[in-house]
Amino acid sequence: MPLKIFILIKQVPSYHNIEIDKSTGTIIRKGVNNIINPDDLFAIELGLNLKERYNGFVTVMTMGPPQAEFALRESLAMGADNAILISDPRFAYSDTLQTTLILKEAFKIIQEYDIIICGCQTSDSSTGQVPFQLSEALDIPLITDFFTLEIENYLLKSHRNFGHESQNIEVNLPVLLRVVSHFNSPRFISLPRIKTSFDKEIKIFDFKTFNCPEYIDGNNKSPTKVVQIDKVNLKRKNKIIDGSVNEKIQSLIHLMREHGINGVNHKKLNISGYK
Amino acid sequence: MNKLKECKDVWVFAEIKDHEDVHDCVLEILGKAREIADKLGHKLIVILLSLNAENYIPTIKEHGADKIIYISNPNLKHYHEKIFTDLVFNLIQKHKPSIFLFPSTEVGNALAARLAYRCHTGLVSNVLNLELDCQNKKNLLISDKPAYLGNIIVKITCPKTRPQMCTISKGTFHRKKLRKKNIEIEKVEYKFDLSKIRIKIKGSPIRKDKPSATLSDAKFVIGGGHGLTSKKIFDQVFQLAKYTNGQVGGTRRPIMEGWMPEHLQIGISGETIFPELYLSFGISGAIQHVVGVTKSKTIVAINKDPNAPIFKVADYCIIEDAPKVLNALVKYFRV
Repeated sequence: MPLKIFILIKQVPSYHNIEIDKSTGTIIRKGVNNIINPDDLFAIELGLNLKERYNGFVTVMTMGPPQAEFALRESLAMGADNAILISDPRFAYSDTLQTTLILKEAFKIIQEYDIIICGCQTSDSSTGQVPFQLSEALDIPLITDFFTLEIENYLLKSHRNFGHESQNIEVNLPVLLRVVSHFNSPRFISLPRIKTSFDKEIKIFDFKTFNCPEYIDGNNKSPTKVVQIDKVNLKRKNKIIDGSVNEKIQSLIHLMREHGINGVNHKKLNISGYK
Repeated sequence: MNKLKECKDVWVFAEIKDHEDVHDCVLEILGKAREIADKLGHKLIVILLSLNAENYIPTIKEHGADKIIYISNPNLKHYHEKIFTDLVFNLIQKHKPSIFLFPSTEVGNALAARLAYRCHTGLVSNVLNLELDCQNKKNLLISDKPAYLGNIIVKITCPKTRPQMCTISKGTFHRKKLRKKNIEIEKVEYKFDLSKIRIKIKGSPIRKDKPSATLSDAKFVIGGGHGLTSKKIFDQVFQLAKYTNGQVGGTRRPIMEGWMPEHLQIGISGETIFPELYLSFGISGAIQHVVGVTKSKTIVAINKDPNAPIFKVADYCIIEDAPKVLNALVKYFRV
């Protein structure tokens, strides 16, 4: 039996040039490019790597509006075998708790899973809560901050950092993995796969699929409410230092001197114990 | 889910750092929590789980608590997701707090997220400010949190469920020494079935001492990122720091590459810095890092990519190859 690997990703707006519609207080999504959340690329790479090492079957799953399909197509083109889009207008504006509850419903339908992988956090809301909450919801262990992963007979062995300890651990599957960013180097999309990725059928899970439990009605049942959105004025000067390389370096040294940084005589420091 | 009217009191989770001290961030949160509790006419209650928990009670008493509820046991020496979540959840069910605040640390964020799920309530992470909405006697907590690379501040409330939960970064509020009269102390028995733990630790764990970071006290910080491309070049950050009495910090990537030790990470999962001057070399400016530097007085960013988001939070932008500029500075300051 191949390992059943699920990768959870999110499509996010590319974070340059975010603007707010002042009349509604919401973020203007029109004309903003959507990308796979940067942290999730490391999750996809890990999933594909485990598939290659241990004979797995990789399903990539996302929740979002219909256009989130493109994030799934991109993952298929990277090498995922299967894709699920959780999408329904009633799931819109779900906060982390609602998202977790909806994912829980999805895994009830999926039934069988060995490894679920997610990234650390999304670039849009950056809460990082879902991995922990999903661990609670599915009642499976969550492994974070790991350096190595080995799987033998549904036993996962890993070397991880936990608090201020470095531990060798063992845990039976299923598990949830949270990948730190830059854990690996995500592969590029393969050109031949781009074509085939559009032939694959993407499974849709909507409100009806889940037998409509009232408690997963996103916006209405989310405990947190956004009451106001403001663009931050970080009050930074954003002054560009122009000129040749040398002029730029001279300006920088001048700036440092203005801040009282004049350099130390490091020979003196050597005497007092520095090397 | 707790009924709104039954819920009262402001709780703060007292994380113990490296089983040595109450986390600074907790003491800062206590200052703000005292203010909120006074406005609401609630008690400020500190939740403490630790090995030898009694050792930390005197410090907490000095920072405005009305009551301390604690559990002391050798199994609480380190944070454990199952043990801590179960024990604190039991306390929540029993006492029904209205507000529960956590430090935004590895432990605080993890524990708060798990508890919020169990309580089916809302959690706001990395809060920048807290205020009370006193209109219509609603007394709702309004939490400001950054989103989209810190470009946007979202104000969030949690109107229908309790407790209202937040995690708060170090440096957000200020410590205030204040001792209340008649501080109540309640000891709760430790009770946990260890057979529930599914992650087995093999062999003895190695203690990874995190050197006490001086980053948050540094007046001059030099940060390096992936744009420095190699260990050899990154080493020059350390050289420059040596010649200028600065402190080295950086993003996640140099740690993963082995260029820099882990305790020098700046950002959400690392330290927040408060220097007079922050020089950022080859750092793109992902929000995970940026939230840790916005309290710097002056930020200078050096990056060859003119579109790097770091320039949005910089006072001075130098669009130039970071290794080149770094090398020139090292040469200049090397007497």
